[in-house]
Amino acid sequence: MTDRRVRLDVNGEPRSASGVPDDERLLDTLRARMGLVGTKEGCRTGDCGACTVLVDGRSTLSCLTLTHEVDARRVQTIESMGSDPVGTLVQNAFEAEGAVQCGYCTPGFVMALVGLLNGPGPAPTSAQLLEDLQGNLCRCTGYIAIVRAVERARGARG
Amino acid sequence: MSRSDAPLKLRGGARYGTDLFEDGMLYAALVPAPAASGGVRRLDLRAARGMPGVRAVVGPEEVGQLLPKGGSSDRPVFPRGEIGYRGQPLAVVAADTLAQARAAAAAVVVEIEPKPAVHDVESVFPEWPGAEGPSSPHVVAHVRARRGDLEAAFSAADFVQSDLYRTSGVHQVAIEPHACLARSENGGYRVLTSTQTPFGTREDTAEVLGIPEDRLVVEGTWVGGGFGGKGSSFLEPYAIVLAAATGRPVRLTLTHREEFLLGRTTLPAVFRLESAVKDGEVTARRVRMLLDSGASLPGRDFATGYAIGFLLGPYRLSTFDLEGYAVRTHKPPFGPHRAPLAPQCVFAIDQHVEAIARRSGNDPIGFRRRSAWTEGDTTPMGQTVGPFGLGAALEAAHARAAEWRKGLADGHGIGVACGFWSTGTGAGGEAMLRLTATELVIVEGEREIGSGSIVAGLVALASETLGMAASAIRVEYRDTASAPYDTGVFGSRTLGALGQAVEKAAQALRSDLGSRLKVPPESIRIESTPQELVVGPPGSRTPIASLFTEAERAGGAIVASGRHYGRGGQLDDSLVLEGGFYPYTDFTGSVALAEVEVDRATGAVRPVRIASFLDVGVAIDRALVTAQVEGAVAMGLGTTLTEEMLWGPDGRLANPNLLDYRIPTLGEIPPIEVHLLEGFAGAGPRGAKGVGEPPIIPVPAAIANAVFDAVGARVYELPMTSERVARALKLLEGTGSA
Repeated sequence: MTDRRVRLDVNGEPRSASGVPDDERLLDTLRARMGLVGTKEGCRTGDCGACTVLVDGRSTLSCLTLTHEVDARRVQTIESMGSDPVGTLVQNAFEAEGAVQCGYCTPGFVMALVGLLNGPGPAPTSAQLLEDLQGNLCRCTGYIAIVRAVERARGARG
Repeated sequence: MSRSDAPLKLRGGARYGTDLFEDGMLYAALVPAPAASGGVRRLDLRAARGMPGVRAVVGPEEVGQLLPKGGSSDRPVFPRGEIGYRGQPLAVVAADTLAQARAAAAAVVVEIEPKPAVHDVESVFPEWPGAEGPSSPHVVAHVRARRGDLEAAFSAADFVQSDLYRTSGVHQVAIEPHACLARSENGGYRVLTSTQTPFGTREDTAEVLGIPEDRLVVEGTWVGGGFGGKGSSFLEPYAIVLAAATGRPVRLTLTHREEFLLGRTTLPAVFRLESAVKDGEVTARRVRMLLDSGASLPGRDFATGYAIGFLLGPYRLSTFDLEGYAVRTHKPPFGPHRAPLAPQCVFAIDQHVEAIARRSGNDPIGFRRRSAWTEGDTTPMGQTVGPFGLGAALEAAHARAAEWRKGLADGHGIGVACGFWSTGTGAGGEAMLRLTATELVIVEGEREIGSGSIVAGLVALASETLGMAASAIRVEYRDTASAPYDTGVFGSRTLGALGQAVEKAAQALRSDLGSRLKVPPESIRIESTPQELVVGPPGSRTPIASLFTEAERAGGAIVASGRHYGRGGQLDDSLVLEGGFYPYTDFTGSVALAEVEVDRATGAVRPVRIASFLDVGVAIDRALVTAQVEGAVAMGLGTTLTEEMLWGPDGRLANPNLLDYRIPTLGEIPPIEVHLLEGFAGAGPRGAKGVGEPPIIPVPAAIANAVFDAVGARVYELPMTSERVARALKLLEGTGSA
């Protein structure tokens, strides 16, 4: 195993880390090296979606992504969503609809939805959004309030 | 509808147990038992000690040296002698990185002298143990109660309805795995942990470690889902012994795989129900339960005796025989899971009652309605029933069912089921309020686990009592050394019991302010100005700070406290032959109505819509109560249709991951209607009843009854997978009695 340096654009800032093992996951780089613990550690096997971040704008499971794979690319996490227009409207929709309970799945849901809404062109249909969000698990809400939040966010994005 | 923790959680700012990082922190990994049963022949830690980055490897011998008394002899940190279940931690490793800790854990040499594993309760008791009770070493609890002349009732019966039900092991599946961080401090230890019970964790962990409780401080973190799974002592002792061994902070986080392997979940149960029916009425009922306790059953009699009460149902009944055994197997320990065992018990009793109603030519809902408890009735165990909205809930469900019945599609069916629960107000708690110049602070050792009972519920009670805006009230989280005692966030008790302590503290504060201002306490309203809090009649408002005594000025606040230690009702103890039975603090009715579609070819059950009718006493925050109902119903759908921990005969769990253990996903939840029935006062503040658990209880039975309504097949086992439903349909074809 070789230890190498990675350079990432994280939330609009250049970040670098050295001594990153080949098998280090983006999830751990963000959380343990960079202190960005808003990205949540859930199953670490790609089943729950809690660790979702954006890589070059696309929603990505950071637990299944090797840090070296995303070298030199743009990573966005929940911590930057307050200054992202789509991120903000998604956060507002979740708050307004009571879609946050324990909050552990919340960052993953927000990032996944932002990834779906921030593409070019018109927003996907509600059915498409809900289909694509099935990889994010929530145990508190029964998804009822989350579905409402998704629809509200879609409406707000226009 | 906003709650004060939402913005923090939406920004990624809430720190959970998994988010604990400290300078110099080490990572821990557990060494699992490689078999379910047998003695530890060899545990060789030497190779692991020599691995890169390893700072400590602790097994049973090291625990003996690290702890003042060598730990508890009754509940050792690591097993001495026989192991209890596959995956049981036998040793624990701390290293500089997680990868190093896991590599070293894998390098520990473990040899087990294997013994056959007891993998299910029916292999221990292929026949029912009988009235005398077995002297089997596998029995960890035995409860029995009886009343009336059963034999006479059964021999005079028009018919006897006799059914056998089996239910599965189900996991809480909080998305956040268990995690804690321990460090040595002031000659003792501090542990930061994601827990529903900071004080219970302190008590339990101190017992396991054999140290005085005041040598241990527990500090809660945000909790990423509990559902009963995050209480008492679990990972804390492992992290603490490593902190003791290394002098460094040590964090232990489970993988989701370990979450499943280490259990603390609902385990399988078998229920036998027999009812004697005469002239269309149940004249006697015999109920038997075999509960798999796994390696251990916390609160043995309580877990068994409380659960089995649900098997009689919320019905008037003069003659009964109730007997339950909890049986030790080589599965991981049993643990509480949202309304422990009640959904399983109701799956059995409610289907049984529905079958009796249909067989005796009665309308199933009307039949339940006629025999359901109402206020003033006596339960079979002799407790007087308090205000109980079950009848009203059944009536509302009946009306809604009639609407759904119109135009019901082919292959669809409708089912109703009723359950009940009790607000956990018996477990006590204390509260402290600090009124400063600018805000009211609720000082809490408990942490918010998601329901909103702390961040919104406690705040709402203080807000209303003191006539002040919720925005001027803040919850301040403290550790167990500086927060007032409370039993924990479980049992639908937080608002019910701790809420009353907060309400009493707020009333004490109101009285105090009233006497300082020489006005009636009821007239107290605390208002916020941009600069400060003021109190008093309009026109002569007094800044709070000006009411401070000299000592209060130094402390910066007026302090008030309140406590609530509740009690349940009284049972007729003369009915108890063996073990413990437990009274209810109040009576919460919960009815579910379900429409399903059943695919006759595959047996697949699709929930089409669910309605929940919940007897809430009074809804203190309707939005949050509704959210609890939605979440509980969704969780109940998992218990009903897909969730099942699958252990092999060797004690190996076949599905320790979220792909093979399936919880409901976003696309699988039907519309959920929530009907809140108010007016039947409970044991909580202002007559509120606990709502976190009751709505899950009738869901499996309602779906089962709907499946029967759709296709005429009864399913006797949870979860009702398509295989099981298909098998029931095949059986039906075979008998040709559809």
